[in-house]
Amino acid sequence: MSREVPRVLFANRRPGLTASLAEFERGGGYRGLRRAVAELSPAEVRRLVADSGLRGRGGAGFPTGVKWSFFPHDAPPDKYLVANCDEMEPGTYKDGELILADPHQLVEGLIVSAYALGANRATVFIRYDYERAACALERALAEAREAGYLGEHILGSDFSLEIHVHRSAGRYILGEETALLNGLEGRRPNPRLRPPFPAQKGLFGRPTNVQNVETLACVPHIVAHGPQWFRGLARTPEGAGTKLFGLSGHLERTECFELPIGTPLREIVEEWGGGVWRGRRFKACLPGGASTPFLDARALDVPMDFTALEKAGSRLGTAGVTVFDDRTCMLRVTHNLISFFARESCGFCTPCREGLPMVRECLARLEAGRGTLDDVDWLKEQVPRINLSFCALAQGAMGPLSSLLALFGDEVLDHVGRGRCPLGEG
Amino acid sequence: MPTLTIDGRTVSVPEGKTILEAAEAAGVRVPHFCWHRALGALGACRLCAVTVLDGPQKGVRMACLTPVQEGMRVSTLDESSWNMRRSVIEWLMANHPHDCPVCDEGGECQLQDMTVAGNHAVRRQRGRKRTFHNQDLGPFIEHEMNRCIACYRCVRTYRDYCGGDDFGVLGSRDRVYFGRFRPGRLLSPFSGNLVDVCPTGTLTDKTSRFRARPWDLEEASSVCPHCALGCAVIPGGRYRELLRVRADPRPQPNDGFLCDRGRFGYGYANRADRPRQARLEGRPGTLAEAVAALRERVEGIARQHGPEAVLLLGSARATVEANALLSLWARRLGAADPVFDLAARRDGAARIFARAAPALRATLADVRQADLTLVCGADPLAEGPLLALALRQAARRGAAVRVIDPRPVPLVCEAERLPLAPTLVPEALRFLAGGNGAGLSQEVLQPLAETKRLFDAARRPVVIGSAEGLGPDGVRALLALVAGASRPDRDAKAALLLPGPSSFACARLASAVPNAQDLRRRLGGGKIRAVVALEVDPLAEAPPAVTGVIEKAELFAALDYLPTATVGRANLFLPSAGPYEQDGAFCDFAGRLRAFARVLRPGTPILHTGKGNHPPRTFSPDVPGGDAAPAWEILAEILGISGGLSGARAEIEKAFSFLQGLAGLRADARDERVLPGGEPPAPPGAPAGPEPAGLRLLLSDPFVGWEPLSAHAAVLEVLRPEDAVYLNPAELARLGLAPGARARVEAQELSEIRVARAADLPPGLAWVVRRRGSALSRLPAGEVFACRVAREEGA
Amino acid sequence: MDVLDEKTLSELAARVRAYPYPREMVVDVLRAIQERRGWVSDEGVELAAQLLRISPLEVEEVATFYDKIYRRPVGRKVIHLCDSVCCFSRGGEDILKHLEKRLQITLGQTTPDGMFTLLPTCCLGACGQAPAMSVNLRLYGHLTPEAVDRILEEERREVSP
Ligand SMILES: Cc1cc2nc3c(=O)[nH]c(=O)nc-3n(C[C@H](O)[C@H](O)[C@H](O)COP(=O)(O)O)c2cc1C
Ligand code: SF4
Ligand code: FES
Repeated sequence: MSREVPRVLFANRRPGLTASLAEFERGGGYRGLRRAVAELSPAEVRRLVADSGLRGRGGAGFPTGVKWSFFPHDAPPDKYLVANCDEMEPGTYKDGELILADPHQLVEGLIVSAYALGANRATVFIRYDYERAACALERALAEAREAGYLGEHILGSDFSLEIHVHRSAGRYILGEETALLNGLEGRRPNPRLRPPFPAQKGLFGRPTNVQNVETLACVPHIVAHGPQWFRGLARTPEGAGTKLFGLSGHLERTECFELPIGTPLREIVEEWGGGVWRGRRFKACLPGGASTPFLDARALDVPMDFTALEKAGSRLGTAGVTVFDDRTCMLRVTHNLISFFARESCGFCTPCREGLPMVRECLARLEAGRGTLDDVDWLKEQVPRINLSFCALAQGAMGPLSSLLALFGDEVLDHVGRGRCPLGEG
Repeated sequence: MPTLTIDGRTVSVPEGKTILEAAEAAGVRVPHFCWHRALGALGACRLCAVTVLDGPQKGVRMACLTPVQEGMRVSTLDESSWNMRRSVIEWLMANHPHDCPVCDEGGECQLQDMTVAGNHAVRRQRGRKRTFHNQDLGPFIEHEMNRCIACYRCVRTYRDYCGGDDFGVLGSRDRVYFGRFRPGRLLSPFSGNLVDVCPTGTLTDKTSRFRARPWDLEEASSVCPHCALGCAVIPGGRYRELLRVRADPRPQPNDGFLCDRGRFGYGYANRADRPRQARLEGRPGTLAEAVAALRERVEGIARQHGPEAVLLLGSARATVEANALLSLWARRLGAADPVFDLAARRDGAARIFARAAPALRATLADVRQADLTLVCGADPLAEGPLLALALRQAARRGAAVRVIDPRPVPLVCEAERLPLAPTLVPEALRFLAGGNGAGLSQEVLQPLAETKRLFDAARRPVVIGSAEGLGPDGVRALLALVAGASRPDRDAKAALLLPGPSSFACARLASAVPNAQDLRRRLGGGKIRAVVALEVDPLAEAPPAVTGVIEKAELFAALDYLPTATVGRANLFLPSAGPYEQDGAFCDFAGRLRAFARVLRPGTPILHTGKGNHPPRTFSPDVPGGDAAPAWEILAEILGISGGLSGARAEIEKAFSFLQGLAGLRADARDERVLPGGEPPAPPGAPAGPEPAGLRLLLSDPFVGWEPLSAHAAVLEVLRPEDAVYLNPAELARLGLAPGARARVEAQELSEIRVARAADLPPGLAWVVRRRGSALSRLPAGEVFACRVAREEGA
Repeated sequence: MDVLDEKTLSELAARVRAYPYPREMVVDVLRAIQERRGWVSDEGVELAAQLLRISPLEVEEVATFYDKIYRRPVGRKVIHLCDSVCCFSRGGEDILKHLEKRLQITLGQTTPDGMFTLLPTCCLGACGQAPAMSVNLRLYGHLTPEAVDRILEEERREVSP
């Protein structure tokens, strides 16, 4: 099998099993928390995280240390920390895997981060379909409470924290952090206007930090082993840490692997993913979930880290890698992706509510061979305009569309020229 | 103040303003849907795209969300933002039903305007359009969801601005739906604002549905006649029929909003039974004959029996000019001043307030900006609904709202209430002003002390009362409170709710003699032989003792446009023009003169004369039912004043110095003149009688049903509550009554009405809300009577 | 029939009381109703409103936003078949055809015996096991027509042994 890789987040992962508190502790669990409350001030924990180069794992890749520096940690309670486990972007399933394998990773991550931020309440927002993960997490929370890691005076310190679990009821937009806050408040989960940012006025008007599950899980490791160690995990100098890569699409092996940031795409496809399925050739992939622009075969040697992927015209996103083989019609794939975004639109702003369905219809026409050159021109016009949507959902939809037109423009025109799909039978 | 240029025009606006607001100031209109002056920015429609050529964030930006910066250069004409706006229109029109020919919004539709402005002429979208089922939203609002562009203005108006909770956003993605949980009447008393704020034909005025194209309407700047607040309205009419009323969008005084009474209560003007023909001793005549008869007979009686035989009744709903000319007539006859309000307590209170210093009188804008509001002995939702809405805006900006009132006064915002017996409210006001609170119990003094702390700390407090609720003693206490609290760094103001659009001016015209109280003495003398009722209905409003005398007068003359009991009984009737059928002025509750312009000429609507056929098949030089004239014109004629309205106003200015400036008022320019203060009338000699023992009765008027104009508007019938007597649970138990049962209420008059429960009504109080025309409606509101309440026999 | 039994109702009411902002519980209450009744009826919305001390409309605004709050009757088991890109690219559409044929219904419909309702869903977070579906919150991945037949059989048996 493949080369040796560091196992940090998946250290306790065994197929089909969920690690107990004992297993977690045996592997060094809660060491970060112990160190934090015993030896470090919150400011020192924030410093470590800032130095570690940790960037958000929820899609936007924002440096966590910078985000934490905006948080008013000295403000009086209540201050909230929210773990975002909405995870509904197609191609993304790593947070669910992480919680199911080792839920205490998240629990410890939340406690240490709350300590660093001065938050006195935390909530895990978890999608409807992750009921098993939600139950595993609730068990872990009970264990942690029992062991004194959670609740009043954690490990005998002055620090106290309660963690709630909120189960959602199904909509991708709740992953957007301000929509999520509305959802938690029992309001319609449309995104909120920014400013004010959640760090100033978040949940119930109080300072709130929303963080991805995997990001949070990295924090105790950074505290336990230091920022230099964390940076050293990556394979590129710009990168830091490991990353959960969820593989999907036309690969032989579609699983979730923990790999160093900066692992080249080719290695992920060929070694970890077992190569393109059925002996076919690689045509394209979504490198980081449904909202990242396609990469074609020319990008196979790009290291999968935030900066390199941006240079290559895409984004690391959530690192959910969806691969398409050479028999795939990219117009058809884009049609499917746009259908997803159109259906998941919250309906608040015009470009997304009305524009995406029009794009969907246009793609359907082109796919069916009924499109015209005017349709193609119209599609091109849409990209910069739909990018002016209220939140990043519709902008995400433009990732695949713009790259379809840029990388596979000829394939699109072929549909018009032949009046049918050039790859299909009919 | 950052300075920036927009399309080459330079403008400076305060820090924190957005590009859109700066553009408005520079006279550049940025297309928009979801932004609304009174609601602010939302960022949903994305139509307001502009290009920032120079500034911190270059490129296409939403004008409504982007704060201005010093030195910014903005273009609305740049191709990239223009293209964005074009696309927004294309998106919005993709599913639009294109049913403009049958849409009442057509012609005044922002979506139409933007479609043209965005050059969107060819539909590229193929396939089916999305469709929705509409809801029945009740008698006022028509719902046509297919036309919706999801700008959210309706919900933000209904919920945020007006405080309703039964209209909202349902569904999601490309099927967001604006409506109710279940079909049914919208329950907010401000529901009609949906018509004004909706930029498309999704929510339109059902009361005028399919009756006219907007460009065919005759419209003018006017003032709402339904209460004393003087909201700015733009009524519209066609074919001699008043068809709708919309809010004047300008911010002052009512911030572009109206209540449903003011908006939908216009039906009185079009009634088939509206008296349009002059009558002399039961015989139809011309208006000219009637005017001549009125002058001759009044003058004759005054000559023969002395001027004390003449009783002139002025009116809160007649124009300032008509009331002033009536006063002038009284002077010329040597008769007593007209009686402007038949309710002595209310009259006395109003006359004190009308002489207060102008700086102490709060406007609606003052209420919206207040940081503390006290509502004492007033029911804003019923007596001046927009004031309740202004209170909500104050509350939304963080002001505390406190209510001191025995009744569970309904409001549209959170408020803390101190239930206090009506007679104690003036004492409570004196306590707030630093008095010792004599007569107030300990459990009252404690919360009151807390209120006093709030009041003393507030920088812009407004104390609100009503003339009938406070009475003369209460108004004195109210004015003393705010006068004592005003300092250079502190602006304490008072507002007093009055019954009608001319009440303030009438109270100022009335001489210092407490003349409504005087009335009983005069009537008791049996000397009255001529009664002239100027747009007032004494038979419905005055107690039986008064009406008995009036009915028997030798001359009982009435000028009116409503089919009132008085008009029915009068032996000389002169049809007058309704408020939207003449030029004139009202005077709002803060003493500001408010001119309005004629919307249409009086006349029987073609709908009635032609029985729906148009054009009419018969022709004549006279307008059917068009004999009616403005009351001021009738009175000017009697007084021999020529020169039309300006002639009349000039005479009025000469006679009444405090009305200086009346002649210069212009309706559309929104000119206003503030009436000066004056010497307050001396306290009445006779102290108020002792508090009646036993159960006491307090009367109130509802939002719709008592105010004379809306009481004659059929479409508002659904809002008219059934008469009810409210008692607290202990009282209910003592009397053996259950909520929903019927009871006999006896207090000078007898009435059988429904029983209701009011949990924290003070003990010993029976509170009745009555509609116009019911037996108890002839007792004045606000006063306290001895009464008996008993179970209805046989029930 | 009452929307909720006394016990559940008092439990929910107690939880609502413990929250500083009752409306925070709206999704929980709707899910609790759905768990007992299969779907949320108008009466369910009204009950939630009462519990949370907000208007029925305010509950409905939230209820109609979420895809997995059912405001119309559904079968005893709701099948959500993923139609997002990973499942789609690995034969999701064939699974849909198979399900429609087996159940003799199309997307959005309920079998005449009231057993299954077939609905699409966006990505279930099971992209590694594509194609995938869920049946009443139970996840099934690596679907093949044969696997689907077996699953339907088992799910049916669970209700009527
Ligand atoms: C439409 C949309 C969906 C999103 N979904 C998720 C999600 O499921 N999980 C997540 O962690 N972040 C999601 N995000 C990003 C969050 O808004 C937010 O940036 C993130 O939770 C911050 O955490 P991080 O900095 O740790 O990544 C989404 C953003 C958008 C615009
Ligand atoms: S882009 Fe607009 S409609 Fe789409 S999800 Fe964001 S706010 Fe909602
Ligand atoms: S007016 Fe700016 S987005 Fe609607």
